[in-house]
Amino acid sequence: MNFVALKMLTGDRAKYLGLIFAIAFSSFLMAHQASIFAGIMDRTRSQIVDITDANVWVMDRNTEYFDEVSALTDDDLYRVRGVTGVKWAVPLFKGQPRAKSPDGKFRVVILLGLDDATLVGTPHKMLLGSASDLRQPDAAIIDEAGYRFFFPDGPLQLGNTLEMNDHRVRLVGICDASAPFTNFPVVFTRYSQALNYVGRERNLLSFVLAKPEAGVSIAELSTRIQSATGLRAMSSTQFGRATIVYYLKHTGIPINFGLTVAIALIVGTVVAGQTFYIFTIENLKQFGALKAIGVSDRRIVAMIVLQALLVGAIGYSLGMGMAAGFFSIFVHKIATRGIVLLWQVIVGDAAIVLLIVIVASLVSIRKVLVLEPAVVFRG
Amino acid sequence: MKRLILPVLALLSITFAVSWTVAARPQRPATEPLAAPPIPSSQQAVAAVGLVEPETENIAVSCSVSGLVTAVYVNAGDRVHAGQKMFSLDDRDLQADLRVKQAALEAAQAKLKKLEEQPRAEDIPPAEAKVREARAALADAEVQMKLIESVTDRRAVREEDVQRRRIAYQAAQARLNEAQAQLALLKAGAWGPDIAVARSEVDQAEAQVKQVKINIERLTMTAPIDGVILQKKVRVGQFAQCGPTSEPLIMMGGGAHLNIRADVDENDAWRVRPNTPAVAYVRGDTKQKFPLEFVHFEPYVVPKKSLTGDSTERVDTRVLQAIYQISDANAPVYVGQQMDVYIETPLPSGTAHRNAGSSASGGTQ
Amino acid sequence: MNNANETAVVCRDVTKWFGQGASRVDALRGVDLEIRMGELSMLVGPSGCGKTTLLSVIAGLLDSNGGELEVLDEKPARMTKQERIQFRRRNLGFVFQQFNLLPALTAAENVAVPLLAAGFNRIDAVREATKLLAELGMENRAAALPSELSGGQQQRVALGRALIHQPRLIVCDEPTSALDAKTGHAVMELLSEVAVRPGRAVIVVTHDSRVFEFADTIAHMDDGRIQEIEPGAARARQIANFGAAAPAIQ
Repeated sequence: MNFVALKMLTGDRAKYLGLIFAIAFSSFLMAHQASIFAGIMDRTRSQIVDITDANVWVMDRNTEYFDEVSALTDDDLYRVRGVTGVKWAVPLFKGQPRAKSPDGKFRVVILLGLDDATLVGTPHKMLLGSASDLRQPDAAIIDEAGYRFFFPDGPLQLGNTLEMNDHRVRLVGICDASAPFTNFPVVFTRYSQALNYVGRERNLLSFVLAKPEAGVSIAELSTRIQSATGLRAMSSTQFGRATIVYYLKHTGIPINFGLTVAIALIVGTVVAGQTFYIFTIENLKQFGALKAIGVSDRRIVAMIVLQALLVGAIGYSLGMGMAAGFFSIFVHKIATRGIVLLWQVIVGDAAIVLLIVIVASLVSIRKVLVLEPAVVFRG
Repeated sequence: MKRLILPVLALLSITFAVSWTVAARPQRPATEPLAAPPIPSSQQAVAAVGLVEPETENIAVSCSVSGLVTAVYVNAGDRVHAGQKMFSLDDRDLQADLRVKQAALEAAQAKLKKLEEQPRAEDIPPAEAKVREARAALADAEVQMKLIESVTDRRAVREEDVQRRRIAYQAAQARLNEAQAQLALLKAGAWGPDIAVARSEVDQAEAQVKQVKINIERLTMTAPIDGVILQKKVRVGQFAQCGPTSEPLIMMGGGAHLNIRADVDENDAWRVRPNTPAVAYVRGDTKQKFPLEFVHFEPYVVPKKSLTGDSTERVDTRVLQAIYQISDANAPVYVGQQMDVYIETPLPSGTAHRNAGSSASGGTQ
Repeated sequence: MNNANETAVVCRDVTKWFGQGASRVDALRGVDLEIRMGELSMLVGPSGCGKTTLLSVIAGLLDSNGGELEVLDEKPARMTKQERIQFRRRNLGFVFQQFNLLPALTAAENVAVPLLAAGFNRIDAVREATKLLAELGMENRAAALPSELSGGQQQRVALGRALIHQPRLIVCDEPTSALDAKTGHAVMELLSEVAVRPGRAVIVVTHDSRVFEFADTIAHMDDGRIQEIEPGAARARQIANFGAAAPAIQ
């Protein structure tokens, strides 16, 4: 009987397509909104996860998230180095000075000062130039989006200069950095040089980046650093999560996106459910005939569920395809760079679509089950 | 088959979605730093920043008086011996003064000599002549007197004439005495105290000349010890200020070895013990590490001087300075260089806790 | 094969009403009726006389409220719901006024539905159905959709669907009312030719007097009761032709 069910479903082209597109668009909308939401929230920790050389971050005890830091004293670096189990530790400066291009454009940038000796935290995806060129005097590396802001015309090229705190900054590299939440350009330079670029700040040491020795877990090391130095230490993942949580708590973004996702969910459920329900009602007579002929209720339920699942699967698949298509195009645009479809969204969306079709088919099944087969004799 | 279009499309679409999602998922594999950071050789170590200095510490050579530099005899990097000239200052005024003082000396000396050479030989014959003349006059007066006294007839001669001739004799006698005394005075020469005064005037003038000469010498700076010129900030034509300056005129150091002055945070100071092994890493190349020998602790814990180069950097902590010697005399390290020092310690970190508030307050003051 | 005179359906004082209390409508007020095997019986009467209700009760689609009903020696009142579905699937064939074909299925697939419901696989079922359609004169239209067929052709497909599983009782509800006279006549002709045979009873509910000639027995109904039972024109003819080969189905 399954093929009968399938033929019944596909026989009415308009309704079949209507059903599929209702589900396709609502699943697209949900996936799209959820992914953009996740992508935007993920940006708040871009600069943390971009640093893949080290995996333990040490900061002031009261630091809550990446964008607001209270500087450590220079000695704290050496104290962290002295903690048993630390393979190595290097300083990292993070500041937000204003940069100016030769034609007067200015913008606040995220300035990362990397340890002079090791350049830990250096960008690994270089589009132009080499990270080790940072060792040159006045050298800095800027991310592509930032470069495009300051120099919108022409191809990427090295040797352009910016000005920060009346100091000349020579761009020796252009990298692909994950987009920051604030959308500021990201500039990398040496730790010692960062001092000149931010003006007189009392302390430069924003973070200490550390790596545990083989055999020492990140969590274990964090605990040791905390108890030995009184500073706060956590893994990159934890710090990233803390930053995301901070933004979730302190901005209206989650509510806004949550609402959109909820509306997509409701509209999807209602439209798909109703279309499916109407589809079943219109076929009620056919189901009546089948019941009269002697098709069992279980068979009919199976047929309806099959129809619902098929519609759900096709609609969902098309929706995911659309979402992936959308992101595959927009992932390379400057404004939406790095925002991708997440596998969690794919899985979650599947669960929600499954829920939609189950709800929709349950309502329809009930209608068919209470149907008296005798109606088939009515003209 | 027409009715397969949608399912096939759906299949393609979900395949694309899944494969793209898998391919595009952000991947950030752990990476290694461009240059390896220093890694402590021992499990338990105290890390410190160290500054390379000569065995004698840095000697900032200054000048004793301020002045214009007229000559520089050494260059940075030169090995010098104690006493070797390094630079000179303008001494023209002192040279002029010297000449004045020398002239005064000569005058004093001449005056002394003049005193010392009295009596003048030419003055004596007239004096002697005068004596002789007086003696002759006395003899004449005696003859005249004796002649008149020999007249026994008192009435032949008048008493008055006798008396007159006796007085004339006495006067000639006195004139002879005077001439003789004059001669004796002349023969006796200058007076002793006058000579002493003139001699001390000579001494004074000599001392003044010497003083000027010393002052001239002071304008040329010489090396205080055997050593190497580390830094030369003095150039011909510059005005050299004496006293402590932010930039010493000449920095030098001596000794066969280089030392490292390691700043250990006061919070970690209790962990450091004398005579424990330590290593120093060259910044930028952690493959170059050098064993250190303990020399001594500076007994006084000093406020930490930031090494970032900004002199207005706030002092936020105090450090124990431990001096180590780089055993390898040929180590390619230079005075003034910063090194990462790891000092082995028997005490693990964190066994004693620094008071919890100190880091927070340290960061927010 | 059962004796031609064996009864297929026995109704004794069968009653059926809808609703409760004041709004109660009595559809059957005590029906006494016997349907014999091998015959085409017609239930005729004006609209609202209860003939469709009676047909539904006999087909096991509705429960009677009183009286005795025996269908093919079974008592539907004593069956469970499952048994009744199975009974219908095995023993009954249906022809509906509006044909009630599944519009998405081809003619052959529509015919095959009872076999599919009985658990045949699709290919076997459709092959059987195509064979049967050929016997019904539709060999060229087996792959056509109902919407591509004329009314007469659709009813032939419906007939095929009623016959495919060799039921012992075929119930037809106004099979000709949606057709013009000529087509209706042709359909009835076919029905009496291929469906009526020993061991099978055919009940046709109709108010179309033009097709009375195909009946072996005509039961006139009115006001929820059988008013009169008269032999139809077909009986004599059938007796005369008895023994002539009916189309062999399977």
